[in-house]
Amino acid sequence: MILSSLENVVFGYSDKPVIDGVSLEIHAGEFVGITGPNGAAKTTLLKLLLGLLKPWSGSVRINEEVLVDSRLNVGYVPQQVAAFNSGFPSRVLELVKSGCYPRLGLFRRFGAEERQIVERSLKQVGMWEHRDRKIGELSGGQKQRICIARALAGQPRVLVLDEPTTGMDQQSRQGFYQLLRHMTDQHGLTVIMVTHGPEEAETYLDRIISLEQQESEEWQCLTTRSCSVRFGPAL
Amino acid sequence: MLDYAFMQRAFWAGALIGSIAPIIGVFLMLRRQALMADTLSHVSLAGVALGAVLGWNPAVAGFVAAILGGLLIEQLRRSYRAYSEVPVAIVMTSGLALAVVLMSLRSNLSQSFSAYLFGSIVAVSDTQLVLMAGVALLGAMYFIVLRRPLYSLTFDEETARISGIPVTWLSFSFAVFTGMAVAAAIPIVGVLLVSSLIVLPASLALRLARGFAAAIMIAVASGLTGIFSGLTASYYLDMPPGGTIALILLLFLLAGIAGQKVRGWMARKNGRRATRPERDNGEFISMPAKDGESLSLE
Repeated sequence: MILSSLENVVFGYSDKPVIDGVSLEIHAGEFVGITGPNGAAKTTLLKLLLGLLKPWSGSVRINEEVLVDSRLNVGYVPQQVAAFNSGFPSRVLELVKSGCYPRLGLFRRFGAEERQIVERSLKQVGMWEHRDRKIGELSGGQKQRICIARALAGQPRVLVLDEPTTGMDQQSRQGFYQLLRHMTDQHGLTVIMVTHGPEEAETYLDRIISLEQQESEEWQCLTTRSCSVRFGPAL
Repeated sequence: MLDYAFMQRAFWAGALIGSIAPIIGVFLMLRRQALMADTLSHVSLAGVALGAVLGWNPAVAGFVAAILGGLLIEQLRRSYRAYSEVPVAIVMTSGLALAVVLMSLRSNLSQSFSAYLFGSIVAVSDTQLVLMAGVALLGAMYFIVLRRPLYSLTFDEETARISGIPVTWLSFSFAVFTGMAVAAAIPIVGVLLVSSLIVLPASLALRLARGFAAAIMIAVASGLTGIFSGLTASYYLDMPPGGTIALILLLFLLAGIAGQKVRGWMARKNGRRATRPERDNGEFISMPAKDGESLSLE
């Protein structure tokens, strides 16, 4: 099932296009890496795929079957841990619990099921022991982990990660890719991950989408490489 | 002291605004908009001056101006996403300039403006008290019902938007409510000190609290304590209530900072490791969808 697709999409900021003529498809249950050099509009591509930005031209289609209450059930882990509000007066557990809020709405009680989900999410990222610590006391890698736990706590259909392994050592990165592979295989999660180093994640990814610069300096999705036999290339 | 009706009204007014203003302060400070209350009070003053010039009810004009100021700041914030303090500075200088010019048009009004500038909680009227009660009630409902989306919005606006929270609507409603609270608080401490009720308890709470709910509780508790003790001190020592309340809140903040420094110094002296980031050594674990464990969370 195709989850989201772009067809000949052009998008830019101010009057200059940064993405020109991109066409690609994301399949449900796929673990996709998006790569490209700095400034290659990778985050912009993510936002277009999620329908958060409207393209100048071309079309973005999101499969209605994956919408919950007319929105895509997405867990999002932002790019910059530095933007993480370190002075925010919150404990790790409080923050990860907030991942359940979109599902609970305004009034539904935070019950036993949600407690289990939060505990599992924290254990999956190896941060359960740190649950009572203030988030400002955590290291960069730990902050990244609790952002991931928070996204998982929302039990998303799609997990979108923008350079999620920043601040993690090599062993942690491998463990993290294994976890994402497990989430796609066993839980049917779709994972879209922007990464600078697709080589080390290659074993776990289904497909790598590379953004490359054209002569006109705009970025285009020129190559997609299939890493596993599960899904064919989109172009 | 509480035998006097004016002091009873003062304590009621203090309790109402002291329950709401510190909560607004926590959110404003975390959104890097600490000066918003100060700005809206100046805009409110411009509204009061405009009301006086045009023959409208100055209090109502000030109330409406504060709400419009909040909306304007929020709108400008969307144009200056990377510099959230810029809209506050623009609206503050504009509000003050407008107030000064409008006040000069009616020089005989400058005497009555001193009441707005410095406030007088002991002169709070029944109408002002009812207005304050209305704002406090609305605020309590607002923060209780929207506590979850407000938390997510304050932590990270982008993630909140992606998770489906109506960020624009929530931000504008918060700006409107802040304008209402500021306008209602002006009779207590005046334009010049209104942000003390909003910023000082929140500053203390953000230093001391380990969790978000604790921050809200510390802010409200210190705000109410400051207001009640300030009112009592001003009654017995014959001092202006607004300034006394603000100074007591400042003392609380200084005491909180000093207490933290002493605690850190004691910890170092005792050879204990001060709070600092630890190495992340937990491993990522792939778990089954349902493990059926008996789990407990505090």
